[in-house]
Amino acid sequence: MKIMKRVELNNPLEGSYKDPSGLVYSSGKKIYRTVNRNYKSNYDLLISSGLYEELVDKNYLVSYTSVNNIKKLLEIYKVIRPQYIPFISYPYEWCFSQLKDAALLTLEINRRSLLKGMILKDASTYNVQFNKGKPLFIDSLSFEKYKEGEPWIAYQQFCRHFLAPLLLAAYCDFRLIHLLKTYIDGIPLDLTSKILPYKTHFNFSILSHIHFHAKAENYFESKFKGRSKYFLPKNSLLAINDNLKELITSLELKIKSTEWSDYYSDNSYDSRSLQTKKRLIEKFMKSIKTKKIIWDLGSNIGFFSKNLNLEKSLFIDIDNDYLAIEENYLDTKKKGISNVLPLNIDITNPSPGIGWTNSERMTLVERGPCDVVLALALVHHLVFSYNLSFANISDFFKRITKWCIVEFVPKNDLQIKRMLLNKKDIYTDYDQINFEKVFSKNFTIMEKVSINSLGRLLYLMKKK
Amino acid sequence: MVILLIILFYLFVTPRMVYAYIDPGSGSYFIQILIGLLLGSAFTIKLYWKKIKDRFIGKNKNENNEESGVK
Repeated sequence: MKIMKRVELNNPLEGSYKDPSGLVYSSGKKIYRTVNRNYKSNYDLLISSGLYEELVDKNYLVSYTSVNNIKKLLEIYKVIRPQYIPFISYPYEWCFSQLKDAALLTLEINRRSLLKGMILKDASTYNVQFNKGKPLFIDSLSFEKYKEGEPWIAYQQFCRHFLAPLLLAAYCDFRLIHLLKTYIDGIPLDLTSKILPYKTHFNFSILSHIHFHAKAENYFESKFKGRSKYFLPKNSLLAINDNLKELITSLELKIKSTEWSDYYSDNSYDSRSLQTKKRLIEKFMKSIKTKKIIWDLGSNIGFFSKNLNLEKSLFIDIDNDYLAIEENYLDTKKKGISNVLPLNIDITNPSPGIGWTNSERMTLVERGPCDVVLALALVHHLVFSYNLSFANISDFFKRITKWCIVEFVPKNDLQIKRMLLNKKDIYTDYDQINFEKVFSKNFTIMEKVSINSLGRLLYLMKKK
Repeated sequence: MVILLIILFYLFVTPRMVYAYIDPGSGSYFIQILIGLLLGSAFTIKLYWKKIKDRFIGKNKNENNEESGVK
């Protein structure tokens, strides 16, 4: 007879304190979620209405199993164990199309919920994660019974979390999505209204959901002292939901064709050297037993994550080039690739911990360590553009990975010569011997192979 | 369009507001009522139009219901 180990729930995750319906706990790779008695009727309705089954079948909602071998307090109705998401990402790390897909998923879930007599009580971007290449709604406790005539309580949150950043990216500049890092509860609507160009006042949907909404918020905050007794028919809610969906579907990242073409020409690779590198990496990877999660730092449009023969590994493609990440995501989506997650992160200024006590949303380092770091043609950029030393880079890699595959580019390389064209050469200790000496403090060099005749080298290193 | 919305807002919404406690989402509630009125009417007309059309061309009832929100 199999004896089940009793699970203890200690220290809920910092980001889960807001919802009184339950808390989230983690125990290694397992996530547990308590369902409080005050949420019992909603939880039961989610199941009995068939909504849970429908959304899980469609891969819209995270699935879970019930946990019985657990010591629970009186106020806890149930403990569930949601499916494991191997890497948690945040909206300020997503590109435009990832945020758009997450928004459309939220609206579709809300629509389906309304048809089953329920509604989303919150519409936060943090309720969505990317899993197997697609957005997945992870908050099983976001559903509540729809009361006929009531408005959508999460409407304002949806506008701040999804609509505002998407509109700012589409009408102003894609970099404005990063405002989500400053505003953890979504970009304020009055700020969005101020930044958006005046022509957006002539679009009925933007006028209503943003400009008018912002003014109404401001007006009623000081004047209104009561709850509306209005009856808002379900069809009106469905119509608002549809209108938001139509608006978001119509949004596109407007990149001038010249910018796109420059972008591609600037990133044209020497295909022979790429193929050589690919073969060498594949050979190195054979020596690494566990390679479930690979962080490709400076991934660009994701050539290696998509071409290395490693379907069982999850690649986190990290690049500070927003358009490269956008392109990477659209390509993975088009090809149905499920093991690549492109993220717009600047490795010299990685995502910080934000929210209450800086711990509601984790830093990038806290979401590691990964099994393998790929740092191809990256180190020389960090040295010559950011003045980071080999020791800085090696110490950082030590914190985030167990293994790393690093490319060393010699100083006589054309790329470095270009970088030093208008800069004083203060990098006297930049050479292969020093590189190996410094990295050897934290890592054991397992293999070293020449990539080309110009002196570029590829290293396989294991953390000491 | 702005003027039309403001007129609608004051005609249909403001006079019927009453009661007791401060709700930070009040502005949001009223916007929903306002655009719900406008969009909801169009949505309902579209729905019934679809129903009439479907009666004549005999579209699958269940499929239509799921899309439209009518049970």
